Amino acid sequence: MSTLHLVRQSAFATNDFAQCLSVFDHQDSIVLMDDGCYSLKHSLMDSLLKRVDGTLNINIIASHAKARAIETMATINHIDMADVVDLTFNHNKVITWQ
Amino acid sequence: MTSIELATSVVLSKECGLAIINSKAPFSSTYGKDALDVALIFGSFEQKVSLFFQGDGVYQLIANQDGRLVSIKDYLKTFSAFEFYDIEDIYVCQQSLVNRQLDEAFHINDVQVLTSIEFGLALNRHQHILRF
Repeated sequence: MSTLHLVRQSAFATNDFAQCLSVFDHQDSIVLMDDGCYSLKHSLMDSLLKRVDGTLNINIIASHAKARAIETMATINHIDMADVVDLTFNHNKVITWQ
Repeated sequence: MTSIELATSVVLSKECGLAIINSKAPFSSTYGKDALDVALIFGSFEQKVSLFFQGDGVYQLIANQDGRLVSIKDYLKTFSAFEFYDIEDIYVCQQSLVNRQLDEAFHINDVQVLTSIEFGLALNRHQHILRF
């Protein structure tokens, strides 16, 4: 049973991302969208990336990151909204953190 | 006047103008646009306005953003009009930049990066404060 986590708020402004990670399972996926893109630079994300050694499915909406001038790394997937639709079908459940 | 009253009046006379604190990221709400509108209105009436950027508000100043990619009219470009409205005091909290792994690369000139203590002192020099 896998869950898709849609992170829509900045981890610097709210506690949402921390709550997301507290229920996060190793087979789940994360999508950073809207202000959630800012969470990429948060220390919670740094420690998450270290913990899971690259097996984790982390996605970011490319246009949302580019609009905010956020530098992304090659280790995460750059996707668009059509890909989010596919992801919702590939997971059993979706949680929107907003 | 007693010495205490005198001291108080000296302190009060140093506090002047309006401070506007920006604390929200630019694209997901209208807070940034509202703060900009208020700043420009006070500027057009020749009132002294200072801008403070703290927390997620520092994202409003970062270079190379493009609101059109998320279908938002890019009000950040209007920031370059500040000098025509005599808005010259623009302060950014250094700690907020460091926490967000941001460089001091801004899309407008003459932005002053202050430590948390300096930021607080600068804010306290103002008579009125609005936070967005």
